Amino acid sequence: MPELTSSYVDSLAPNAAAIKNGQGLVRKKSFLQLHTSENGELLFGQCAGSGKTPYECSVDFITPESPVFRCTCPSRQFPCKHALGLLYAYVEGQAFTPAPVPEDVASKREKVEKREENKAKQAAEGTESKPKKVNKSALKKKIGAQLEGLDLLEKLVLSLIRGGLSTIDSKTVKTVQEHVKQLGNYYLSGAQTQLRHFALLLGKAEDREEGYTYAMEQLTRLHAFIRKGRVYLTARAEDPELALDHESTIDEWLGHAWQLSELREYGLVKENVELLQLAFYSYDDPARQEFVDLGYWLETAGGEIHRTVNYRPYKAAKLMREEDSFFELARIPLLYTYPGDMNVRVRYEEMTPRAISDADFDKVSAKASRSYAETLKKVKNQLKNPLSDKTPVVLLHAASVGVTEGGQYVITDETGTGLVLEDIPSLPQGTLELLPFLPATTLKDCCILVMFEHLLDQGRLIAQPLTLIQGGSITRLLY
Amino acid sequence: MSTALLQELYQEVRRLYIAGSDLAAGDFRLKRLLPQFQQLGERAAVFKRLGEGITSLLEPGDGQGTPAAVRLQELTLLLESVLYTQGVTAPEGTPGELRSRNLSLDTKFPYRKLAVVRQALTTTGSGRYEIVTEAFKEGMFQDLRLLPLAIAALNDPYSEIAEFSMTEILPAYGPAIAGYLIENLNIAGGKSEVRKLKTIAKAGGTEVLEEIFQAAETGSDDIRAAAIECLGCHEVYLPALLEWSTDKKKVIREAAYKALATGGSPQGEDRLYEAFAAKKDRELVADAVVYSSSEPLAERLSVLYMQELREAPQENVDKKKTEEVWSRIRPFATVLSGQRNPQLDELYSYVIQEYARFASLGYTTIINEAAWYKQRAASESAFEELQQLQKLDSRYFPHYFRAAQQLMTPDELYRHFGGTMINKLKAVVTKDSAQRNKLLMDTIKEQVMTAEELLYDAVWDPQRERQYRELGMLSPEKIQAAWDLRWLDLFIHRDVPELVCAFAHPGHEESRRYLLNKLSEQNNQQKRQRNHEFFTNIFTGLERSGMQDPELLELMMSVMENEKNYNPYRFDYAQFQQMLRFPASFSSRLEALLPNQRYYESRAQLEYVIHQLRSRE
Repeated sequence: MPELTSSYVDSLAPNAAAIKNGQGLVRKKSFLQLHTSENGELLFGQCAGSGKTPYECSVDFITPESPVFRCTCPSRQFPCKHALGLLYAYVEGQAFTPAPVPEDVASKREKVEKREENKAKQAAEGTESKPKKVNKSALKKKIGAQLEGLDLLEKLVLSLIRGGLSTIDSKTVKTVQEHVKQLGNYYLSGAQTQLRHFALLLGKAEDREEGYTYAMEQLTRLHAFIRKGRVYLTARAEDPELALDHESTIDEWLGHAWQLSELREYGLVKENVELLQLAFYSYDDPARQEFVDLGYWLETAGGEIHRTVNYRPYKAAKLMREEDSFFELARIPLLYTYPGDMNVRVRYEEMTPRAISDADFDKVSAKASRSYAETLKKVKNQLKNPLSDKTPVVLLHAASVGVTEGGQYVITDETGTGLVLEDIPSLPQGTLELLPFLPATTLKDCCILVMFEHLLDQGRLIAQPLTLIQGGSITRLLY
Repeated sequence: MSTALLQELYQEVRRLYIAGSDLAAGDFRLKRLLPQFQQLGERAAVFKRLGEGITSLLEPGDGQGTPAAVRLQELTLLLESVLYTQGVTAPEGTPGELRSRNLSLDTKFPYRKLAVVRQALTTTGSGRYEIVTEAFKEGMFQDLRLLPLAIAALNDPYSEIAEFSMTEILPAYGPAIAGYLIENLNIAGGKSEVRKLKTIAKAGGTEVLEEIFQAAETGSDDIRAAAIECLGCHEVYLPALLEWSTDKKKVIREAAYKALATGGSPQGEDRLYEAFAAKKDRELVADAVVYSSSEPLAERLSVLYMQELREAPQENVDKKKTEEVWSRIRPFATVLSGQRNPQLDELYSYVIQEYARFASLGYTTIINEAAWYKQRAASESAFEELQQLQKLDSRYFPHYFRAAQQLMTPDELYRHFGGTMINKLKAVVTKDSAQRNKLLMDTIKEQVMTAEELLYDAVWDPQRERQYRELGMLSPEKIQAAWDLRWLDLFIHRDVPELVCAFAHPGHEESRRYLLNKLSEQNNQQKRQRNHEFFTNIFTGLERSGMQDPELLELMMSVMENEKNYNPYRFDYAQFQQMLRFPASFSSRLEALLPNQRYYESRAQLEYVIHQLRSRE
């Protein structure tokens, strides 16, 4: 069993409410019985609920890195508050009396074992799952529909440009929203999101001038997407055997959701990787109609900054696990990487945490970019591609962090090149206001994770600090 | 590369996006830019392509070929790509050292915990205060990222949060935060700046006194007042405080008085006495002195009080004058409330002696004060004075009774108030004696019926954690210890069901009969009291009278079944406990009652009881 701390239990909870409710059960003394198996691998107990009979819940640490939660309550949240409460009771040091493993848990354990055995057997026999057959005519039909959808989108975009953004009124916004709905029929969920984003930009009447800049950028982006998408789809329509494009993000733009098996097929995997989360935040993306949990991670061996993205659709948000900041080092046996730019999206199925050591900090500092000129070249190179991620994240080394007389925060590299820090509009909250509260030692010879954004109307490229690393400690300015 | 030119072109195409691409053909502002692009195009391919884009956009559309909208998009796309490579990153000016503050805060809390607090402090809505106070208890404000929010909270629209940040959260950061706040203090500001100032005073201690003094001298009136109050405990500033106490502005004088009162120096007290005696600022001084517990000052003021009372008009001839005098006398009561000294003993005796005069002047407040003062004195002489007073005005009867309680044994008390009066009142029920009887019963009710505070969890609804507070009747043991049980007969005689319920005890058959009778009366009455306390009391009373559970619970069940109008929002604690003693066989009868329960709480309680009974089956 891993060492149980309340922060570890917090990290298991699907959301903040579950933490509160789980702790509430302990506080209200809802647990009628608390037991542990003889070898301590299993914690189990009874918890009073609203029903007549108490719930039987248990947490099984038979494989310590992935505990199994079981409970007889009908909650769809997983793990439920009862299992969490059981762990909180344990962390608090409540008395767990030794007792034999309950029958139903024993039988469930057996089943799991059998399944594992079967899997191992299959793997040993080398029976690989058969490659999926592609229904060519269906695919052709789909691509045809997608091309049709692109035409529809283009027509709309051009009509909007002909009339001009100033003539757009609530009626036009309504038409755009109707088109958003229609695109759903053309297998173009990615385009749908982009158009919805445009509709939202129009709907926001706060700052019209700034709104125009963003709306215009979104229109050119849609244009680039339509052009590239059309070329790509036409090629695929002619040759249905053609594989997905695993180098660019065009498939994602069209609305393709990569499956792990596909990524493995294209060799987009890495083995035995260690990732260190440097920043995290979560935001509401009304264009996607989803909440998005975004984590930025440093791959300690190669120095790349990856990102993990967890989408929680509005409709299912309540039942889905809300990701959280992660403070340890994640050791990942198999890391899947998506096609993309500087910060590729990554996913993993298994992970074991490990405490960060001083050696790790040395590695981190070694990976930070020491020449801003070089980094900026790379960043700008990415930004000029219309379909690229417009807010790249990089780890920079700063010889010093300072402030000009005009109040501009500036980081300077070892060659003396300065880079202006500013809060970028794309992030939901600012971090600059925190800098004056940091001790002076943190602001010298440090590593800073920044997110870039180019402000088109001002012709400036600015960076917002997300995290500061110095002297063996990480100061997260965001989360 | 000529970035300015590119920016200019960007502004022009942006204009076309806003105005519509149909206006692009022949656009003269675009045309004006063209030559420069063509010129630069000879050297750089990008400008050449941009120039071509401009040229094609300027051509009028002939209905065929590429539409203007597409040409505009193509041009802009190229332009944007170029602009993206031209972003300026260099600072304007050379950076100097960042002034940092050693607050030694960390960033160890995860997103999910912080986000809740951030939301609480950046939005409006219910439940925010609890989140903030809980977070503070958990030590979350030692996380760097909540610091700006804590400072911003000084301006929170919900003043409790603003106050909490001022008194608890921010001072916990120590003196370092005071330094930061001083820099950001706008001494010309309003409410939130005042809070900031108070925080500075609290967190900064003696280090920041000079800044506070500055604010007291030069700030806006609100700031000055707050700053002056902060200086009360520091003798160095006494001369300044004395000066401010004669300021032209009322708010400043008020603050100075408060500061002098908290300082408690002899000079300060002299000044306060002087200001009080001068009558002009009497109310301000009174409000300030309430916070000081200086006995010498209270004694001096008591003497002055007596003097002014003696000087008050003898008769209410000139109403205007009477009121004017009253407004001067009233502040004495504020200042001297809770004080006790020989001067006041004498003063209130004087008030009682002069009852007729003060009553005719309409100064009843003073007489009330006297009654309370004498009641608390708990001495024989005070008791006698109260006896006189209540004879003059029956409204002071409760004071008389409560004074007696402190001096007499339960037996004596009963004989004095219950035993002797019973016969008198039985004979002739005059208006006055009825009034006294009511006052007596009400005074006893006050002491018996709502005597015990009860806090309990809503166990029937574990999903929604909350507590209820109830005031319940005194326990039988306490009644037995403090009261003569013969009161019970009197209560039955006087028909006070609540008190009969409280005093009922085993072996007193008549009280049970009386209560059962009350219950059936309630059933028969046409106009039923919608008073669910009645039922709770009756069942508690029956239990106290020694009625055994089977009989009691069956009775209760049948009342619940038959009283269609009995629809409490929530069953009181005592009754809920009795319901939990129901035999398991009642569960179906209770279930039949569920549809009648109009309110969420009582329904949840019933459901809980049913569950409990079922699990016992």
